[in-house]
Amino acid sequence: MTPRWKFMLASGFIFALLAAAIYFPILRRRVKRAAKLQQQSEEQARRELAQPITINPGDPRVKAKLFWASDTMDSTLVPVTVELPLSKDPVLRSKQVLNTLLAGPVDAEFRTLPPDALLLAFYVLPDGTAIADFSEALATSVPSGIVSEQLAVNSITRTLEANVPQVQRLKILIHGQEVETLAGHLDLTGTFVVNTKPASPPPASAALTPDKTPGKLAQTERKP
Amino acid sequence: MLDPAHGGTDPGARGTGGIRESEIVLDFAIQVRRALELQGFQVVQTRQGNEDPSFDDRSATANAQRGAVFVTLHISSTGMQGTARVYVNSDLPQVADSNGLIPWDRAQAPFLGLSKTFGDLVQGFLAQRFKGSPGAAQTASVRQLRTTAAPAIAVEISSVTVEDRADLDHMAPGVADAIARGAAAFKPSYVVPTVTGGLR
Repeated sequence: MTPRWKFMLASGFIFALLAAAIYFPILRRRVKRAAKLQQQSEEQARRELAQPITINPGDPRVKAKLFWASDTMDSTLVPVTVELPLSKDPVLRSKQVLNTLLAGPVDAEFRTLPPDALLLAFYVLPDGTAIADFSEALATSVPSGIVSEQLAVNSITRTLEANVPQVQRLKILIHGQEVETLAGHLDLTGTFVVNTKPASPPPASAALTPDKTPGKLAQTERKP
Repeated sequence: MLDPAHGGTDPGARGTGGIRESEIVLDFAIQVRRALELQGFQVVQTRQGNEDPSFDDRSATANAQRGAVFVTLHISSTGMQGTARVYVNSDLPQVADSNGLIPWDRAQAPFLGLSKTFGDLVQGFLAQRFKGSPGAAQTASVRQLRTTAAPAIAVEISSVTVEDRADLDHMAPGVADAIARGAAAFKPSYVVPTVTGGLR
């Protein structure tokens, strides 16, 4: 091989290396973006399949109170008023507020529930016990710990308390099953207290009663 | 009774730096045990190594003791780093059958008042040590506490999200001291509630 060919070969090799060094980070970014988009569209598709969204434009728009995390680090909840078309039917109304709660606040930092969690079903029994069936993501994606699991459950119970007075207690199922804990700590075998007052028709803008403590585990209903 | 939570296939909370709740609480338990023994207490642990006894197995170990107090140790995934919170179980209705037997799944019910006293004492000592920690014990529906027939508290340290594990390790002596001092302060007020028939 002549020196001229050697020089050309080395130049070509260096050029290919430089091109790869420039192109690979761009390619990596594109692959990541594509994966993210795919993940988002899968999540969107799941949401659309699982929740033929229960917003009816004919429902009156009312000021709903939703409970998300506060901007402090003390793991408390704050009510956020959101204007929503809400049904008078307690089941539909519950689905509407819980789906809005799951969709999350504008600032994702104040989320209390995982973004991929879904409300699969919601029922209210004649005695005021509601049954909320969430997808597995609620248990697998919520940060593990007493404080974070309690924050998640309290945001659900307090949102129901503020907007659906017919719901007295709440039983949480995960993918149709009773589970022992949410993510290793918080007891899900019983029901949680939501409203302690007798049910009355939903107000246009429900108010909180500060002396109640929703979210406490009520009497467990277990087999003898 | 000392209960390092999780273990075995259940690592508990996991930090981005590979910190596992199950491992940290086991290390904390060693220091808490030492501090309690220095106060003259006899200590039994629900697990010594990387095992994962069930909630009921852990409660069974505790419920076999007489005059015990129960402390379950946790590290959270969230919350202000460097703080510690004590939890006692939320209200449970007291139900005993005609023989005075208490259902296993509500074994904590007769002890809730004592748990609150014990929890407030420990939380008070933790608040002195760790700025930003609450001044009194809080209530939560903690599964492990519900089936425990003794004054029972959960102590949760924030959090596995620390960048350096040493930040958590530095908290261990303070946590151990607060629990031991809380137990010593609680001892004079601890009168075992009369449960005529025991557990069923």
